[in-house]
Amino acid sequence: MAKIDLLSSEVRAEIDKWIAKYPAEKKRSAVVGALTAVQDAHGGSLTPALMEAVAEYLDLPPIAVLEVASFYTLYDLKPVGQHKIYLCTNVSCMLCGSDQIAEHLKERLGIGFGETTADGKFTLKEVECLAACAGAPMMQVDKTYHENLTRERVDDILAEFD
Amino acid sequence: MINIEIDGKKLSVEPGEMIIEVADKAGIAIPRFCYHKKLSIAANCRMCLVEVENAPKPLPACATPVGEGMKVYTQSEKTIEAQKSVMEFLLINHPLDCPICDQGGECELQDVAMGYGEGVSRFTEGKRTVKDKDIGPLIATELTRCIHCTRCVRFGEEVAGIQELGAVQRGEHMKIATYIEGSVDSELSGNVIDLCPVGALTSKPFRFSARAWEMQQRPTIAPHDGVGSHLYLHVMGNQVKRVVPREAEAINETWIADRDRYSYESLHHADRVTKPLVKQEGVWKETDWSQALEVVAKQLNIIAKNDGADQIGCLASPSATLEEHYLLQKWLRALGCQNIDHRLRKTDFRVKEQAPQSAALPCEFTDVEYYDRFLLIGSYLRKDIPMLNHRVRKAVMLGAEVSVLNPVDYDFNFDVAHALISDVRLLSTQLAGILKALSANAPLFSTLPDYLRQVSPDPAQQAVADSLKAGEKVMLFLGSLALHHPEAGLLKALAEGIAKETSGELAFLHEGANAVGARLAGAMPHVGAAGSALPTPGLDAAAMTHAPRKAYVLHQIEPEWDCAYSAQTLQALEQAEFVVALNTFQSDTMLDYADVILPAAAFTETSGTYVNLAGHWQSFEGAVVPQGEARPAWKILRVLANLHDVEGFDYTASTEVRDELKQQVEESAAQSHEVAGQTDTSSLKSYSASRDNTQQGLVRLTETPLYRTDAFVRRSPALQQTTDNQRTGVRVSRQVAEQYKLDPAHPVTLQQGDYSVSLPWQVDEALPGNHVWTAGVAGLGAPFGAIELTQGKVS
Amino acid sequence: MVLKRLKHFIKSFTLWELLKGLRLTGRVLFDKKSTIQFPDETTPQSARFRGVHALRRYENGEERCIACKLCEAVCPALAITIDSDQREDGSRRTTRYDIDLFKCIYCGMCEESCPVDAIVETGIANYHFEERGENIMTKEKLLAIGDRYEKQIAADRKQDAPYR
Repeated sequence: MAKIDLLSSEVRAEIDKWIAKYPAEKKRSAVVGALTAVQDAHGGSLTPALMEAVAEYLDLPPIAVLEVASFYTLYDLKPVGQHKIYLCTNVSCMLCGSDQIAEHLKERLGIGFGETTADGKFTLKEVECLAACAGAPMMQVDKTYHENLTRERVDDILAEFD
Repeated sequence: MINIEIDGKKLSVEPGEMIIEVADKAGIAIPRFCYHKKLSIAANCRMCLVEVENAPKPLPACATPVGEGMKVYTQSEKTIEAQKSVMEFLLINHPLDCPICDQGGECELQDVAMGYGEGVSRFTEGKRTVKDKDIGPLIATELTRCIHCTRCVRFGEEVAGIQELGAVQRGEHMKIATYIEGSVDSELSGNVIDLCPVGALTSKPFRFSARAWEMQQRPTIAPHDGVGSHLYLHVMGNQVKRVVPREAEAINETWIADRDRYSYESLHHADRVTKPLVKQEGVWKETDWSQALEVVAKQLNIIAKNDGADQIGCLASPSATLEEHYLLQKWLRALGCQNIDHRLRKTDFRVKEQAPQSAALPCEFTDVEYYDRFLLIGSYLRKDIPMLNHRVRKAVMLGAEVSVLNPVDYDFNFDVAHALISDVRLLSTQLAGILKALSANAPLFSTLPDYLRQVSPDPAQQAVADSLKAGEKVMLFLGSLALHHPEAGLLKALAEGIAKETSGELAFLHEGANAVGARLAGAMPHVGAAGSALPTPGLDAAAMTHAPRKAYVLHQIEPEWDCAYSAQTLQALEQAEFVVALNTFQSDTMLDYADVILPAAAFTETSGTYVNLAGHWQSFEGAVVPQGEARPAWKILRVLANLHDVEGFDYTASTEVRDELKQQVEESAAQSHEVAGQTDTSSLKSYSASRDNTQQGLVRLTETPLYRTDAFVRRSPALQQTTDNQRTGVRVSRQVAEQYKLDPAHPVTLQQGDYSVSLPWQVDEALPGNHVWTAGVAGLGAPFGAIELTQGKVS
Repeated sequence: MVLKRLKHFIKSFTLWELLKGLRLTGRVLFDKKSTIQFPDETTPQSARFRGVHALRRYENGEERCIACKLCEAVCPALAITIDSDQREDGSRRTTRYDIDLFKCIYCGMCEESCPVDAIVETGIANYHFEERGENIMTKEKLLAIGDRYEKQIAADRKQDAPYR
């Protein structure tokens, strides 16, 4: 019973907003919104305890929550850095040179895809299309899209976080 | 009805049916993995792609509804090509380990690969591997073999009612898993083994011990509960290697409970008695049948002659066969002994059961799904009778409302609309409250003791009453807890009263595989076979304990587990001059109290009949030869009666015994499906004498857990390791633990009168205060009596 | 008629047939010998010869047999009896592997059906039994034969491999 206490009242309010969008008996539809709210409120990643809390809140078996949380790449089940960098390497971005951007990012941060920098600042993730092909190559840092990337632009963007 | 054509065969079908259903009915084979007729449609394996005229692409037969004039080709080039391609994809990641796979030889993937697979794979990349998980003692996993049909996941969600398995990750990384490192604990979990089309989920106890083609399949009936699920025993040599369900839509559909699936493990337990044993001057000796039977006949004769046949008592298991019950009572009654009972865990016999009913349910199992209001009284239906619970669950899915009245807040796998969780001593008060809410001046009230007449319904009782009142078809279940309750007679009368007010029907969830049959066969002290009247009634199970007899005949029971007053029964047996035990197993306790042990064949080794709760007479034959010198119990009883020169014991087959009883049952007019309103209400007032209205002090609450019900399941190692079976020892509410300042590191001592035991304990949040929960503990007194609890510090 | 009798008379008188026979003897006496001195000598044997059975091991000493029971199923003479169980390390193994050599017809189907080349028929053609029951080749005996003749067994399989 105690797991549910991990959810703050703000998070609960956010989840309730999602629940309200669906029919009363279809509470499980709110699981994506709920997990997003919980992840944002807890340092950008989900722990088993948090997933169990969501399961309890939505009256779901915990495995049903894990199914969703493990399906989407936007949920992290391992601890992440303060800022998440999602680099698209799908076809449009790849053709426009995302490979070089990836190389540059890895070099600059000293980490590979799926890793976190030693100072815990950045986590670098390779993702599929983020629907910004017009501005390829692109990456998303936290909630912001950055398009038409070049090495210099990447440096500028990262410098903002120093 | 619409007309379609499959492979040129013209069919007239229901609109809305899927192509695959129609094809299955018409006997046209379409390969499939994810489709299962009892589960929802997932259409994720794509194996059932078929060509449909005018459709641009092949369509999945499992998810394409039929349409007027549709023409389907299951053997066309396009179909075969599509299916071959799907097969190639499925085999990309499937390991080639058929030789060590338990599914080899009965594998759907193997079969279909023979038809559609290519000899050579074009895929040269590495195959996917998945780490196996330990998901409990019943199911072995080999998840590299999984083809992601998700049948097991859907089974958990849709049939078992709790989703324990899920598909985590996605794409290439998708795998079937439990949450974190959990185990699969459903009481129906074993069914995923049958559902799994490949060898990803297999039976753990069976693992690697035989091949599908080596075993013979023989039908039988499950011996553990009142459903009587249809089973197939898979036999190799003379050994039952495993048990699988036999399809019977009206009984168990295509499922069976884990109890029925894994209890075969006990058949080769070291406790099996394989030779007749006789105790001579305190020493046990193996002997032959003729000697052992003569000893029994002689001893019983001596006691009957010297002390009167009334000094013999007989306790029989409610899971013994109809034939055994009938022969037992026929033999003993011929000797002049009426003391025979199978209601071993019952404690209240004040209201006598009238003529036996031909069924304990008012309807077929399938009809249960169409009731819209249920009241469960003192029952953990989900664990007591899993397959009946499944029907109730299906009714709930269709919109039925279930109310429960239990002393423990049990974890049901359906939504409970109203849960009355009450002190076990107050169950009758609760029922009276519901009755009062239904009708303040129901005629029943005039016959009730004062403390029930004066109740006024509280809002919770009113809610249950309103729910029942609103229903069109109402069913009340009297569960094992209500039937074994010290006020069982009152509870039954009240349930009947409620049934009358709601135009509902009453169902009795008797324990054992043959409780209805035992009643029909006359294994009760006050009525004979087929409800025939007796000149003088004998002693019931409890009376035989409280007024010890000189001799006892025990049939397939272990009193320390099976009897309500376990300690007292053992005392009675120990002081008796002569005890004969017909049993499949022996135990140290039995060697203590018995004088002769006659090895009776196990349920797989004897022929017989079980009458299930719905009144079906289900006969079965022996599937394997009895072990050692064990013999079918009906034959042992026949010879014993012959030795006593009882007339009419010339049976040559158990079917003759059944037919004799069947004729009597058909001739008897006492027979009726009508169950309500039969209680003799004249004795209800007497209950006030025994009632403790103070509700002070601790009360014992006894439950027979799922895997403790009979000697077979108690000796099945895999079942004993399940999470369900961890519900043992002593459990108390948090309130009691705090009040008595219990130290979790030390056992507690329970005391009832002269009897006391020390056991480890734990807190159970589902229990109400003042309750001490015990799992049919040997060595204590009344199962629902007052109990004292102490904890001396152990150094 | 008379001539024929005369011819016969002369032939028998001059021991003609004896001389004819001795001529053959004389000729063969200096020919290459076709008999062999068994057991000091043996006839040449094909690598495909199907003699008494053996169970093989992998180089690391692990037994090959995985108790799939295909040989038991395929055996036309029902000469093979296998019991299987899970070994302590979780692998599938036989607990009993008996071949009754009185029933066996040396057809080689067991070897053909084996997915791991565990059961093989060796080149051993000469063996005998002294006691009742020795005709049952147990798992221990079969593994012992395998261990002893592994070199030959492996060489035979290698020679035959291109044709399989």
